[in-house]
Amino acid sequence: MRKKIAIFILIGWVLLIIGDRVDELRVYQGAQMAMYTIALASIVLLTGYSGQVSLGNGAMMAVGGYGAALTLNNLGTPIWFAFLMAIVTASLFGALLGAAAARVSGPYLAGTTLALAVGLPAIANQFAFLGGEPGLFFDVGFPPERFGDEFTQYKWFFWIASFIALIALFITSNILSSRFGRTWRAIRGNSLAAELCGVHSSRMKVLAFTVSSGLAGLAGAVLAMTISLVAPGAYGLALSFALVTGAVLAGISSLPGVVLGAIILVFIPEISVALADRLGDADKLNNYLPGLIVSVLLILSVIFTPNGPGENLRKHLHKKPAH
Amino acid sequence: MQKVIETLLIGLSTGSIYALMSLALVLVWRSTRVVNFAQAGQAMLSTYIGFEIASRSEIFWLGLVFAIAAGALVGAGVDYFFMRVLFKHATSGPAAVVAPVIATLGLLGLIRSIVGLTWGGEFKSIEAPASTDGFSVGDGTIPFSDLDVLIIATVSIILIAVAYIFQRTNLGLALRASAYAPEIAQLAGIRTARTRTIGWSIAGAVGGVAGMLVTSNNFLSPYSLDLLLVFGFIAAVIGGLESMVGSVIGALVLGIGLTFILNYVGTSLVFIGGFSVLILVLLIKPDGIMAKGKARRA
Repeated sequence: MRKKIAIFILIGWVLLIIGDRVDELRVYQGAQMAMYTIALASIVLLTGYSGQVSLGNGAMMAVGGYGAALTLNNLGTPIWFAFLMAIVTASLFGALLGAAAARVSGPYLAGTTLALAVGLPAIANQFAFLGGEPGLFFDVGFPPERFGDEFTQYKWFFWIASFIALIALFITSNILSSRFGRTWRAIRGNSLAAELCGVHSSRMKVLAFTVSSGLAGLAGAVLAMTISLVAPGAYGLALSFALVTGAVLAGISSLPGVVLGAIILVFIPEISVALADRLGDADKLNNYLPGLIVSVLLILSVIFTPNGPGENLRKHLHKKPAH
Repeated sequence: MQKVIETLLIGLSTGSIYALMSLALVLVWRSTRVVNFAQAGQAMLSTYIGFEIASRSEIFWLGLVFAIAAGALVGAGVDYFFMRVLFKHATSGPAAVVAPVIATLGLLGLIRSIVGLTWGGEFKSIEAPASTDGFSVGDGTIPFSDLDVLIIATVSIILIAVAYIFQRTNLGLALRASAYAPEIAQLAGIRTARTRTIGWSIAGAVGGVAGMLVTSNNFLSPYSLDLLLVFGFIAAVIGGLESMVGSVIGALVLGIGLTFILNYVGTSLVFIGGFSVLILVLLIKPDGIMAKGKARRA
C-alpha cells in the first residue's frame, strides 16, 4: 500500500515537471488524457471486471458534467465540491438505471445505456434547467494568483485534471484489488459458481455499474472543465464509441492500460486531421475520418486482441518452456 | 373521439415500422445471442442504396427492392466476414463474453463513417410513393394518409412472408432448430453456420425495409436511424427478445403509446416516454410479455 502511494506521488511529480516543459497545446492534451484515463477506468471496472457492457458511457459522463455544473452555477460552491457532486449525481443515476438494467443478465444494460446516449440531446432539450442544445457554462475560475502570471489557464486545468485522475486511479486500483474486485471477476467468470459461494450476483452487478457511473461522472466533470461547457453535443455517441475503443485497445481488464488508451484517444483526432490534410476534401474527411479510424481500430482489436495487446505477448512467452 | 382514432391509426403505422426493426434484432438475437446494434448501420447503408436507386429511377418500389437486396447482402456479409471470424478468435479471457456486442458497436461506427464519407452528412429525402396528405373525414382532414396505409400494407406483407418462411418451409425449420438447439440441429444434418448467415441476411433485409419506410416521410442522414434502433430495441425487450410475435406486438404497443404521447403531450416527451417504458419493463417484467414462466436461456 505504501509502495503504491509512493508510486502515485512519483507519477504526480513527473507530471508536474512535464507540465512545465511542454507547450500550451500539449498541456491541454495532457488534461484531456487525464480525463480519458478516468473515463477508461470506469469501463475497465465495469466491462473488464464485472463483465457488463455499457455502450453509453458518454451519457453517464454527461450526468456527472451536468451535476457538477448545476452545483457550481447555482450554489456557488468550491470546485472540489462540484467534482464531488459529479460523482454523487452520476452514481445515484447509475444506481437507479442499474437497478433496472444491470440486475438482469443479458444485453439489457448495453441497450439501455445506448438508448440513453442516443436520447441525450432530447433529454437535455426537454428540461430547461439543463440549458438545451447550447448547454451550461462550467467555469472553475482562474488559477490562484500565487502561482504567478506565467501560470496559464490550461496548465491550471492540467493540474486539476491530473490531480483528480491520480486520486481516482488510486482508489479504483484499490477497489479492484479488494473483495469487490475479486467478486466481480468471479461473477464474470461464472456467475452460477459465484452465487454458490454466497455472492449476491445481481446486487454486485448493480454495485459495479454504480461505481463505474460515479467514475464516468467524474470524468464528465473534468471534460466539462476543459471545454468550460456542459452540452449534449460533447457527450454524444462518438465519445461513447471512442471510450469503448480505448478500453479494448489497451486491454479491457488492465487498469494501467487506461493510460495507453487515453494517449491513443487524444492523438486520434490529430492523426486524422493530418491525414485529412493530405487526402484533400477536408470537410467530409474531418467529419468522418476520426470515426472511421476509431471503428476500424475497435473491430480489429476486438477480433484479434480481445483481451488486450498484452495477452498475445504473454501467450507467446508461455509457449516456450524455460528449459 | 376522432383524435383518439387518428392517433391509433398513426400509432399503428409508426409501430409497424418499429416492428420491422425489432423483428430484425430478435432474429439475430435468437440465432447468435447478440443484440446486433450494427442493425441501424446496416439498415442505413441499405436505405442509402435504396435512396440512390429511387432518386435516379424515380420509382420508390425499385429502390425498396434494391434496399432489401442490399440489406440481405450486408447482413450476410456482416455475419460471414465479422461474426464468424470473431467467434473463432475471441473464445477465452475476460473479453470473450463482451466481444460480440462491442464488435457490433464497432460495425455501426464503421458503416456510419463509410456512409458519411460516401454520401456526406446532408439530409436526403426520398420521394414518398403515395400522397402524404391526410384523408378527409367530414369537413376536416386527419393526419392519416395514403402513405400510412401503404406502410402498414408493406409491413404486413413482409411479416406474413417472414412468418411463412419460418413456419412453412424447410429453411424456417432449420432456422428455428439451429436457434433453439444448435448441437442437435447440427447432428440432424443442418449446416448451422450457414443457416445463421441466412438468418442474418433475412434480418438485414427486414431492416432495410424499415429504413426505407421510415425515410419515406422523413429525412435520411448518417444518424437518422439511431432512434429507430433504440425504439426497435425497446420493442424487442417488451416482447422478451426471444419471441418474434412478441416483438411485433411490443412494437405496435410502443408505436401507439408514443403517438399518444406525441399528440396529447408533445414531441419532446416522446423519447423520455419510450425510455421510461424500457425501464418499467425491465423492472416489472424483464422476461417480456410473451414469457411463459420458463427459465431464460441467455
